[in-house]
Amino acid sequence: MLLKTENLMKAFGGLKAINKVDFELPAGEIRGIIGPNGSGKSTFFNLVSGVYDPDPGSYIEFDGHDITNEPPHKIGALGLSRTFQLLRLYQDMSVINNVMSGYHTRVKYKFFDAVIGRKKIWDQEKEIKDEMMELLSFVGLADYAELNASELSGGQRRLLVLARAIAMKPKLLMLDEPAAGLSPVNVDNLMKIIMQLKDKYGLTLIIIEHILKVVMDTCNTVTVLDHGQKIAEGTPSQVKDDNAVIEAYLGKKMNDEEMRKALAV
Amino acid sequence: MEKFKKVISQYPFLGFIIAYLVLLCVPTIFFTDLYQSHLSSLIFINIIVAAGLNIVKGYCGQVTVGHVGLYAVGSYTAGCMFMYLGSDLWMTLPAAIIVTGLFGIAFGIPSFRLEGPYLALATLGGGEAIRLFIENGEFFNSTYGISSISQPVIFGVPFDTPDKYYYISLPVMIIAVYFSYSILKSSIGRAFMSVREDPISAAASGIDIKKYKILAFILSAMFAGAAGAVYAHLPPGYIHPNNYTVIEMVTFLAMVVFGGLGHIWGGIIGAIIITIVYDLTRPLYEYQLFIFGLTIVLTILFMPKGIGGFIDKIFIDKRFKKKKVEEGK
Repeated sequence: MLLKTENLMKAFGGLKAINKVDFELPAGEIRGIIGPNGSGKSTFFNLVSGVYDPDPGSYIEFDGHDITNEPPHKIGALGLSRTFQLLRLYQDMSVINNVMSGYHTRVKYKFFDAVIGRKKIWDQEKEIKDEMMELLSFVGLADYAELNASELSGGQRRLLVLARAIAMKPKLLMLDEPAAGLSPVNVDNLMKIIMQLKDKYGLTLIIIEHILKVVMDTCNTVTVLDHGQKIAEGTPSQVKDDNAVIEAYLGKKMNDEEMRKALAV
Repeated sequence: MEKFKKVISQYPFLGFIIAYLVLLCVPTIFFTDLYQSHLSSLIFINIIVAAGLNIVKGYCGQVTVGHVGLYAVGSYTAGCMFMYLGSDLWMTLPAAIIVTGLFGIAFGIPSFRLEGPYLALATLGGGEAIRLFIENGEFFNSTYGISSISQPVIFGVPFDTPDKYYYISLPVMIIAVYFSYSILKSSIGRAFMSVREDPISAAASGIDIKKYKILAFILSAMFAGAAGAVYAHLPPGYIHPNNYTVIEMVTFLAMVVFGGLGHIWGGIIGAIIITIVYDLTRPLYEYQLFIFGLTIVLTILFMPKGIGGFIDKIFIDKRFKKKKVEEGK
């Protein structure tokens, strides 16, 4: 198992945002996480990536390491990369610097080499830059490398965030609504790029997405969360027909008597 | 020319050596009186401080208004070492750098929890506390200041006049700027920037935010310490607590903001311009602070990235347009 959570819990005050979620993800899989708004999908990401500390009793394991209470940068260094729903781009940095800062954990030279400015620093920096330019041209942003990230369009920003998350060559990539706000054509394009990157780098993916078409088409397995609990897990077609899932999304199907009762009150 | 550019990008220190050699020749060719040498030394000192301030403020985005306190620590480390131990610049400079670096840790710790204006207030308090501590401390000669601090002697030649001291402050400045260049151009500089832009996503990329925040404070403190020591030994070798007030801090800030926050040459451009303007407008003493305050406000309003960023932007846009036109054909 690449990622495993046991009894994962997080409460904000009295609200149990994540309630006893057991989650297992083998390497190489594409996992979709769906659920209505406020069902705890993003909280789940934040717990796994260390942005939030889980409540006592929880256990998270990534690639054989216990990461339950590790700070986010250590989890990142283990090879877990993620994107954010609100992108969190480095607005005031050039596109190439955005991507190169994602490379941080793979930089080989030591601190003092950088202070003194030895030749190998500049050689390595050039290598990094070339590699990152290649990545940028792969997602189609090479022309914009020198511009500020704030000058990009919405779709380009989504691509840049993706490139930045890939730059560290992660084992597991967690995408939080990668296609939110994109037009159908752009969604297809983005998913195509994501799949290509997955094959190229041998990634394992977790995707949170509200566009069900994306989830149903690409994911091997889908986990459904509702009110912080896992209510269903299985292949897309299994999940689609699951009663609990339909209930969470569309509401409960009532018989006549229940309807009457509900209306009377 | 292309070849030259390539060599420089592979061995950046060659560029600094060229700059050093050029600046070595400047006094003999252009300078007509001692005051110009004195002013140049002041510019070099301000460049060192501004380059350091650019690391913590421009790159790491931590608003510190107590930097002048660190500068004072550097100066007084040098001054006290001279007063009590009779040390010269070769001893006091490294000592000042180390001591100020330690003070930098103290200034950096609040940045773990405080941000923006609150951090500014905390560091402002820290800087002022240092100045008041010096002003009221018998050990530091309180308000008398420390006078006639010695100038370094090399092979029996004393560098005790402004025109000679130029050759002392110049190499220190070049080395400091070189360090700042190589730090900021490497992955450390990028890590600083990402901490500034978005700490949460920086952490997700595996960047230890606390480590880089404190590192930025320590590094910039070391720059301030070096500048402070060079300033203490600047002929006639006199330091006084009044040299380290908030007013000086505003001047340093004006340098970095005007030159370009987060631009690799920002602090340096700013330090040169502001120091010269400051000197030329000395007759208008009463209005100076007003002008500098206004400069900061106007620069932030109309040129948020200062002169450096402004010039960069022009070139980048030009290159981008050119590329687009070529593709169009």
